[in-house]
Amino acid sequence: MGINVDWLANNFSDLSNLKLIGEGGQKWVFICTHPKYNQIVLKLIKPGGEQRLMREIEAVRRVPSCVPTIHDIGVFESELGQLVWILEDYIDGRTLSDLLKDGPLAKTRVLKLAHDLLCAAVEAEARNVFHRDIKPDNIKLDHTGKAWLLDFGIARILDMESRTLTDAVSGPHSPGYGAPEQFRNRKKDIDGRADLFAIGVTIYEAISGSNPFIVGARDRLEILRRVETIQLPRLTLDWDVNSAFADLISSLMQKFPYQRPTSCREAYNWFLEINELLGGN
Amino acid sequence: MELFLQLGFGMMGLSKDLISMWGGGTVILSPRDLEPIQIEKIGAELLSLNGKNLVDPQFYLPRSDHHRLTSYNYWPQNYDTQGFDDSNREKMLEALVALNYKIGTCEVIVPGERAEEVEDLWLDSQVALLKAAQNTTDIPLIATICLSSEAVRSNEQINSVIQLAESQSVYGYYLVLEHPGNTYLVNDPQWMANSLDLAAGLRRIGAKVIIGYSNQQQLIMACAGVTAIASGTWMNVRSFFPGKFRSSYEEEIKRRAIWYYCPQALSEYTLPYLDISARLGLLAELMPDPASVYAEQLFSSPQPSASGWSESLAFRHYLSTLHAQVSRSTPNEFDETVIYHKGFLDRAQGLLQYLRENEIKGLTRDFYEAVDANRAALITLERTHGPLLKRHWNE
Repeated sequence: MGINVDWLANNFSDLSNLKLIGEGGQKWVFICTHPKYNQIVLKLIKPGGEQRLMREIEAVRRVPSCVPTIHDIGVFESELGQLVWILEDYIDGRTLSDLLKDGPLAKTRVLKLAHDLLCAAVEAEARNVFHRDIKPDNIKLDHTGKAWLLDFGIARILDMESRTLTDAVSGPHSPGYGAPEQFRNRKKDIDGRADLFAIGVTIYEAISGSNPFIVGARDRLEILRRVETIQLPRLTLDWDVNSAFADLISSLMQKFPYQRPTSCREAYNWFLEINELLGGN
Repeated sequence: MELFLQLGFGMMGLSKDLISMWGGGTVILSPRDLEPIQIEKIGAELLSLNGKNLVDPQFYLPRSDHHRLTSYNYWPQNYDTQGFDDSNREKMLEALVALNYKIGTCEVIVPGERAEEVEDLWLDSQVALLKAAQNTTDIPLIATICLSSEAVRSNEQINSVIQLAESQSVYGYYLVLEHPGNTYLVNDPQWMANSLDLAAGLRRIGAKVIIGYSNQQQLIMACAGVTAIASGTWMNVRSFFPGKFRSSYEEEIKRRAIWYYCPQALSEYTLPYLDISARLGLLAELMPDPASVYAEQLFSSPQPSASGWSESLAFRHYLSTLHAQVSRSTPNEFDETVIYHKGFLDRAQGLLQYLRENEIKGLTRDFYEAVDANRAALITLERTHGPLLKRHWNE
């Protein structure tokens, strides 16, 4: 199933310089120029992905400060059927996974990343939204170093009906980042602490350069087994005073929610104290 | 951490003496071991000695046929799972709360059934009993969590218990955890680690945590920030044995032996082994640290078994020494507390090794095999809850 860029350009006469930058199972993503917003992202949702999109739009609406702003939404007919489209801000920068190809992040960037991710988690938690797919691929760092959270496609919105069957064996997750309660589909356990787990693993990876749950794993099951059973070695960082930052990351990555900070707010407040201790911004 | 007295058979006089000597303290009263009239009497006497009372409803086996337990009017006369509805629960709680009022308790222990496995029916039953209690009284409630040894060993089941606790607003928890294989001391590191994990998880949600039916092995509960451990005289109040709540249970008093508790070894020894220690010139190694006035007679004789040291003194020595150990068990900070207990275990292991090399053994009450389980549990606690316990230690 492909999409013709010229045909698409005819349907969006106010957009120019359309260029396909990504395609996933659910959508095509284009970068283009808009007369008012300049560089902007056009997402076209493939038929069948509408429900997921609506969930994503609602999540983004509730968590505005750390995710790209959505400017417009619409539907048009195509030879593939009805396609939903959205126009959202383009974040000029690199995904964290791309950045990590250059090597681990230095102290300042790690602290900024931790700040931004925890801050986003606090905002989401306050509005009953849990991202459930925080990982380097879904984080973009702009030229100021600010981290943006992308892809709320599998977000859980607590006051909306769950889209995951209660008796499903496994819940939506990315192996190596999803918390055990997520892939075990222990729905009653899933709250902001599942996002804390993923943030912990992401920061661990940003510091060490790789995800030890994934590196060298035979397959997806091996990754999940590692996530459930392996306690990662504590971080040892020459800039970490009294191992305070290592303590935080270790707590975020505990296997059961009750072993992690009780909420994203608690984790964020803890981080702020550590950040001050470490002389972060 | 505090030491509460877990009242058992023949402990009325002893508990009054100890509470009087300590200038206060809490006693968990046992309906299984006291007639209704006795429980009110001793409750009043303990209050007059500046003591505090709690009543353990002992609803661990709802079909218990123990004559004293079933003589209490809070005990359901015709229990069956289907018929034990909200109205039965409220009647039970009304009678139990009335008993608590008579005894002058400041907190009510809410009954809780023993969970062979933590599953939905048990969780529902816990919630229903709590709800009935909340509808009955404004006194702070302490929920009973009674788990089989296999339930304690299961990470998932511990998670379910904490998840339940997170969804309730309860002042405290009374943990009654069955030892694996009904052993007195536990050498299973998974059981020990999970019991610490459970206690720490409950403390972290701000609840008071009391570990019932404890012995010296539970001193490390101080590292989880536990409020109190409760212990008593006979083994069946120092470890939880559900069989004792059935009428067929034979009192331990029929199998009596005098045991001396050596606090620095965390172990107990029968008097013939002390005799051998004396002959080998090792008795000084076993003299109690901290010192105990109740053990002076034992160590004043060249042959301990001929000293006339009594069972009553043995119990007083055990509980007063454990009381002293508990009061030392929680230094100011989490890290200091863990270091203290690790050091204590190291020293105990060294002493136990030395004694074993000389064939001085505590038999079923020798802590040697349990040291490693405690050490493993402490390391697990540090890794899982350590940073957060450290952060909130003084809250």
